[in-house]
Amino acid sequence: MSDAPYLSLEKLTLAYGKSIAVENLDLTIRKGELLALLGPSGCGKTTTMRSIAGLMPVKSGRIVLDGKDITRVSANRREIGLVFQSYALFPHLSVFENVAFGLRLQGMSGAALTEKVDTGLRTVGLSDFSARKIPELSGGQQQRVALARSLVMKPKVLMLDEPLSNLDARLRLEMRTELQRVQKESGVTMIFVTHDQVEALALADRIVVMRNGVIEQIGTPEEIYNKPASSFVADFVGFENIATVVGNKLVGSAGEVTCPATLPNAAGLAWRPHAVPLGSGPYRGTVRGVSYAGSSREYVLETPLGPVKTEVDAALPTHQIGTELAFDLPPEAAAPLRKIG
Amino acid sequence: MFQNRTEALALALPAALFAAIVFLVPVAILLSEGFRTADGWSIQAYIDFFSMPLNQKVFLRTLRLGLTVTFVAAIIGYAAAYAIVTLPPSSKGKMIGLVVLPLMISPVARTYAWIVILGRTGIVNQALMTVGLTDGPVRFLFTETAVFIGLLQLFLPLMIISLISALENLPRDAVPAARVLGANWFQVFWKVLLPLTREGLVIGGTLVFTGSLTAYITPAILGGSKVLMLETLLYQQVTVANNFVSASIIALILILMSFAANILLRRIASARNSK
Ligand SMILES: Nc1ncnc2c1ncn2[C@@H]1O[C@H](COP(=O)(O)OP(=O)(O)O)[C@@H](O)[C@H]1O
Ligand SMILES: [Mg+2]
Repeated sequence: MSDAPYLSLEKLTLAYGKSIAVENLDLTIRKGELLALLGPSGCGKTTTMRSIAGLMPVKSGRIVLDGKDITRVSANRREIGLVFQSYALFPHLSVFENVAFGLRLQGMSGAALTEKVDTGLRTVGLSDFSARKIPELSGGQQQRVALARSLVMKPKVLMLDEPLSNLDARLRLEMRTELQRVQKESGVTMIFVTHDQVEALALADRIVVMRNGVIEQIGTPEEIYNKPASSFVADFVGFENIATVVGNKLVGSAGEVTCPATLPNAAGLAWRPHAVPLGSGPYRGTVRGVSYAGSSREYVLETPLGPVKTEVDAALPTHQIGTELAFDLPPEAAAPLRKIG
Repeated sequence: MFQNRTEALALALPAALFAAIVFLVPVAILLSEGFRTADGWSIQAYIDFFSMPLNQKVFLRTLRLGLTVTFVAAIIGYAAAYAIVTLPPSSKGKMIGLVVLPLMISPVARTYAWIVILGRTGIVNQALMTVGLTDGPVRFLFTETAVFIGLLQLFLPLMIISLISALENLPRDAVPAARVLGANWFQVFWKVLLPLTREGLVIGGTLVFTGSLTAYITPAILGGSKVLMLETLLYQQVTVANNFVSASIIALILILMSFAANILLRRIASARNSK
């Protein structure tokens, strides 16, 4: 992996008619990198991918790949692979012919073609399926065919749109490992889209968190997980307690509390449930919900700030609903946020 | 719903008998007319029919017009249907409405409209003379071209609708997928669109072809007795010449042509699809 940018999006703005879907997006991707585009449904992930692939006109901005401006290059000349969320296989062709589709367009045929297609199918574990018809395959198998069809083209960048979201839980884990292996083996620069933070954290070298068509934060999985820049990212990666900092006060959805300790210089603070101690501390709240989660027990407290979620060792005695308890929101255990809202 | 098949068949019997008596029997009688002679059965009437130059001409003209109208409707229809399905949903509905609208207007009215457009003092002739392309009016009416235009206009909506439904059922993103894999628009059409919409093309083609063969009003008004087609010839044989043998022969030819077209188009579709 080299540090020089391989694919750059410069001030990219994309629109459907008059409605802007992606605005002023700046992003660089290094060669060989596995980048995740993470964000809730409708934030513009698919739109961004389609524009990189040349399937969506660019309203303003530039796309540069390997030193060349490809903003106006048509989709069939970009050397970019895209695995669609719906897989978009050709139902009138066999598995073999689907994988061979792009190679045939390049004029390849005979033994050379067969060898490349077989290699592609072997990479995704479908060697025995080359004569099958597409409707005879399971969802997971169709996905592998779509992956092989893109891989054999040796694209400069391979993009996958929500590659795991249509699979059941077990297959999802299997495919996740598979994707990682394929990416490491082929060294292909890969962008994958997901709305699942667990997937992004597990797979990616770097994560781009998107929201409403703009980038909210770019960072390594560790950075995103431990140092979310905004309340939006914090919420997305499991910081369930978020408060705004105003002077020495913490402001929540329902009201505010005065913090006895000095608060850091940040727009807000965020705590994961396990970072909120229960039974001691300067604040008080009433238990409104208890749920058992194996090794731990989760409590939802009604507090002057609004609901606060804490997680404590399941071996500790259970508190009944309605009990009033002390709790703490220690500033040193919180992630400082630069931006709220 | 029914205890067994026999019971279901028994219930269907009256309707089946009715259909057979009022439909199949008369057709059979009519068609047998062409094979009956004073002393038994023969195909002599068919030989006589096809040995007449006028009949040959009308037969070939009907076939030619049917094929060209179908072919041109397929090309225009494909372009129109593709343009319509790629529209945003709101304008798509309006465009489909616009395509269907002519189907709700009587073919007589639609055909007479062409007289206004193509007549000696019609819009087209006036435009041509104003621009100076011709000195006098050009003869459009009562030519094969007029019949062609009339039939095309009459049946194009059926082709467009068939192709719209075929294109709507295309797997999502199949076309973008082909593009990204390196296909230019020509290759997208031949390798993805055409094979996946063949069924719609067959249905639309059958509708347009059989429609063109069996249309009466359009060739009657725009072609008259100068440009006879099998259908107008059939009418003439019955009402003017009172020749039921010829009429029977023409009816059978029309039926066979429709069947042949359908079978042929189906063959083409399944042969390509099972590759
Ligand atoms: N074909 C389209 N026409 C109009 N608006 C669209 C179209 N596709 C997506 N959008 C809009 O663009 C925004 C981004 O969509 P998309 O890129 O599909 O989001 P994501 O992939 O992150 O779920 C959404 O607000 C969506 O409603
Ligand atoms: Mg999407």
